[in-house]
Amino acid sequence: MSAARATTSTPALGDLLRDLAPQVLGALTRRHAQFDACEDAVQEALLAATVQWPTDGVPARPRAWLYTVASRALVDHWRTDSARRRRELQAALDPVGVVGPDDRGRAGDDDTLVLLFLCCHPALSPPSQLALTLRAVGGLSTAEIAAAFLVPEGTMSQRIRRAKQRIRDTGARFTLPPPDERAGRLRVVLHVLYLIFNEGYTTRAGPHLHRTDLTTEAIRLIRLLHRLQPAAPEVAGLLALMLLTDARRAARTDADGSIVPLAEQDRTRWDHTAIAEGQALLTRTLGTGLVGPYQIQAAITALHDEAATADDTDWPQILALYDLLSHVDPGPVVTLSRAVATAMVHGPKAGLALLGTLGTDERMAHTHRLEAVRGHLLEQSGDLPAARECYLRAAQATGSLPERRYLTRRAADLRSPPPG
Amino acid sequence: MKYMIMMFGGVGESLADRSPEWISRMQATMMTMDRELRESGEVVDSRHLMDPTQATTVRFTGGAPTPTDGPFAEIKESLAGYWIVETTKERAIEIASQVAAVVEYPMEVRGIMEE
Repeated sequence: MSAARATTSTPALGDLLRDLAPQVLGALTRRHAQFDACEDAVQEALLAATVQWPTDGVPARPRAWLYTVASRALVDHWRTDSARRRRELQAALDPVGVVGPDDRGRAGDDDTLVLLFLCCHPALSPPSQLALTLRAVGGLSTAEIAAAFLVPEGTMSQRIRRAKQRIRDTGARFTLPPPDERAGRLRVVLHVLYLIFNEGYTTRAGPHLHRTDLTTEAIRLIRLLHRLQPAAPEVAGLLALMLLTDARRAARTDADGSIVPLAEQDRTRWDHTAIAEGQALLTRTLGTGLVGPYQIQAAITALHDEAATADDTDWPQILALYDLLSHVDPGPVVTLSRAVATAMVHGPKAGLALLGTLGTDERMAHTHRLEAVRGHLLEQSGDLPAARECYLRAAQATGSLPERRYLTRRAADLRSPPPG
Repeated sequence: MKYMIMMFGGVGESLADRSPEWISRMQATMMTMDRELRESGEVVDSRHLMDPTQATTVRFTGGAPTPTDGPFAEIKESLAGYWIVETTKERAIEIASQVAAVVEYPMEVRGIMEE
């Protein structure tokens, strides 16, 4: 990760990668036959290229470079499947790291891991998974958790009790999930930690300051999981994502607690130590395993974080990563972000066209985000009355008070002619 | 005694014709007041409600409960939020007056019964 990327990358890089991808995949599949595994491996090579080429320069033989990296990823993938258990054991036995003399050691680590899997049992609803994880793994009291989620303590106590009962009913034992279920269960764990982080992060601006504890707690838990599973790339990816996102905390709100959008934030107030740690983690992780949504999102966040000013943001690179993300983890929210990046690279009309594809998406129809982004792009395109309507609709639909205040102000600003 | 101070209006459509300056001033004052009331320890609870256009009203019509989209009261007169304060009635009215002076919407002060 270096500032050099901002000057070297162009939309041409994204085009080059898209041209090469099917060629590399074709060659790889011809050789190894497993289309799905090869496809994953190529995705990983593409991500590595997206991150490394702008910094190191495009290799003399880019196709051969991608093929080599993809082959290595494929071999790693095969090796990982058979050796995962052994590697996890080795990692747990590894005396190097943050294990202090007071640590309970290997047995404690194993227990913690089993506990995480258990609290994030798929039979539980997400609110129950969050609550149980914070209590059993995070060590928070029911009262603290209730305060953090703004519900009465009795409600939270019932929720936790029912969750534990549900786990008992499923007959789950206190052992690691069977190897064939491990990856899927780890995804649930990561999702739960991601939700805990977001619960704290998206409400930072609100009057309930104790909710910031959730962000800190989520980072602590993902750090723990990363120590237990150092070889899991998505665990590292999620830790990087949280660090790189939380680094902007101080600049996200002004003195009144009002939202300050990314483009207007005072970047000197970002936590550059956290950014450096996130970047280092990401650099170490990319290319070591299968690419996943957290690594890609972390890479996108890193690109934002390393831009000295909003104008320095490497939007072509970010768009390329969103393109990757829409392959790896497609969904309406990704499309929304991709529309913003598309608008920054190819103009607001192109972004609005991409948004148009979401109009019929059931999952999007009732969220305020679509209207907020549409308003933003319409404002960029100069259609201020339509932009204002979108902001007003978004303000009506949002469930977040800071967001409603922000959107109401944006709408009000468009009443008068723009300054200058 | 505990009092509920309710604010009617002040979100969504009721703000559509206000100037950006007015809205910024109103928001800043509300946030300051929220903070001061919390810090003084008078507030037991306070919540802002989502826009009334998002409400669903359930009425008993034709012998059965029937949900319909939209708020019970007119949008411009819908409940926008409330504070529950533990103080004297005079102080509760004083707080309501401070808010009304800024937002220009009606406020209602009601005692909360002991159970």
